[in-house]
Amino acid sequence: MSVREVGWSLAVLLWTFLTMTGCQTGQTHMHRLIPREMAGWRAGDEDRSYDRETIFDYINGSGEVYLSYGFRRVFVRRFVKAGEPSIEVAVFDMGSPEDAFGIFSFEQEDANLNIGEGSEYAAGLLRFWKGSFFVCVSVERETPSAERAAVALAEEIAGGIEAAGTRPSLVNLLPEENLVANSARYFHQHASLNYHYFLADRNILDLSERTQAVIAQYRLAEGKSHLLLVAYPDAEKAEAALDSFLARYLPEGKAAGIAQTEDGGWTGARLHEQLVIIVLDAPSRGDAEALIQSVESKAEAENL
Amino acid sequence: MTEDREVITRRDFIRGMTSAALAAAVGLPVIGCEGASESPPAEAPQGAPTARESSARVVLVRDARAVSGRGQLNAEAIEQMLDRAVASLLDEEEPEEAWKQLVTPNDSVGIKTNYWNLLPTPKELEAAIKRRVLGAGVSESSIRIDDRGARRTLADCTALINVRPLRSHHWAGIGGCMKNYIMFVRRASSYHSDSCADLGAIWQLPIVRGKTRLNVLAVLTPQFYGRGPHHFDRRYVWSYGGLMVSLDPVAVDAVGAHLLRTKRRQYFGQDRPITPTKHVAVADAIYGRGVSDLNKIELIKLGWMEVVLI
Repeated sequence: MSVREVGWSLAVLLWTFLTMTGCQTGQTHMHRLIPREMAGWRAGDEDRSYDRETIFDYINGSGEVYLSYGFRRVFVRRFVKAGEPSIEVAVFDMGSPEDAFGIFSFEQEDANLNIGEGSEYAAGLLRFWKGSFFVCVSVERETPSAERAAVALAEEIAGGIEAAGTRPSLVNLLPEENLVANSARYFHQHASLNYHYFLADRNILDLSERTQAVIAQYRLAEGKSHLLLVAYPDAEKAEAALDSFLARYLPEGKAAGIAQTEDGGWTGARLHEQLVIIVLDAPSRGDAEALIQSVESKAEAENL
Repeated sequence: MTEDREVITRRDFIRGMTSAALAAAVGLPVIGCEGASESPPAEAPQGAPTARESSARVVLVRDARAVSGRGQLNAEAIEQMLDRAVASLLDEEEPEEAWKQLVTPNDSVGIKTNYWNLLPTPKELEAAIKRRVLGAGVSESSIRIDDRGARRTLADCTALINVRPLRSHHWAGIGGCMKNYIMFVRRASSYHSDSCADLGAIWQLPIVRGKTRLNVLAVLTPQFYGRGPHHFDRRYVWSYGGLMVSLDPVAVDAVGAHLLRTKRRQYFGQDRPITPTKHVAVADAIYGRGVSDLNKIELIKLGWMEVVLI
């Protein structure tokens, strides 16, 4: 096993350990992150808290999205003010900065508010992530004062989270040129991939809680393309996944690793250490190969 | 790495080699055809119409008066829409006669509603259904309305009316009539795997099997896209002013999914990422609960046709 493989494996093992054990220093202090009063809004109902077993009591079937990451616990506080809409704050302990970023990226689409490590606000919902935490502040109905209070609440919570976090290193392998803003989605599981880009009904890439994946859109001169990167615990598993992908999705490209598909787009796949690089629907063969090579260069440069 | 059975990929979908149900409605390949011709549930009361024998008819009725500009609902318009839709569904002139096909005075009727606080089944619609059930001769004491407690309170009902609003859903693709029965199981999360693919299995459980007399999918103010933990965003709720009714829960959900998909394309210029409604196709292909292929569904459209989309 190479040094790189050891590094990836340790990262995956750490992620798995943290997820399984629920061991995280900030967890017991989640309620302290949220103030009890802001701009006249005061904590109303009793605070609530949900873990991996009970999250469905809070967000029903959508809880599966959180469980597909290293979610551990969510702490919820509701604020009320006479004559104003209520505000709900939910602080999610995602187990790691990578997965806090992941759940934030899952549906990111608006401009950054510069709160925490990444944030956005639209239609009464403010979302941000910092450290291992993903935070949602939602107003029942948009009013100027409620929006200001939501922003102030978010800023105070972000200020109370001491540990900053960095994006998953895998995301840094995405070439920046032609990358569609806010389109990178970081995830682990097959169901998440199909949510963002339906590939196959079966898990032909062997995605699991032990894999890290990112998919992003590129706007190229003659059309759009998707770039999918999957990091496996070791090169052997990555190679098996690439073989599976080529055999089941791109059999005519098995030898060259690239082929033109029915819709005229080009799909290519390549192995780089324990990383599988897949370009989907590129407008030309050259576009597909250029994207793959660009990722390989970045991986080499960052020693990943 | 994966099971031996044939994998169905995006490319199959592009080639048109998959079920038209998915191609037309949900964008996901269907898994197989076995079970698709399964007979109606044996327990269906004699004489009561079932999804299979009436083929797959879905009636969409719309009324511009049903939802005001401020989002307020018009109870009178909703009742008239329900009457018109049910009568058309069962080829009756009078709605009262249609409802007599659905329930009898001997029935104990459960109205399985949906209480999700952000977009619940409108009270006006629940009330209209209850009035028509009463009109068919069912006594007040034999009618119950519930959602979260359905497994307990509606378990001994002999007839069920399944009613809920249509919305997009983070994990299942849509919240529709199929998913509305998840409250009949002890542990709802056990049906969440694989994008809730096996929701059709719930319909085979004794607590509901053969009891459903009517499915009503409220598309008065449907939600076509969502964000945040609760997957709700008021920007993506629109006044459509419609009701869909069917004897076939799969068919009405397939049409509902088609409506949301069409709306997303209109609004965003493309179909935004949304979980494929796999459970609709699986309910057809594996569990034989109804018809998911839009090409095999008779869609009857009544009333207001402005921006009908489908």
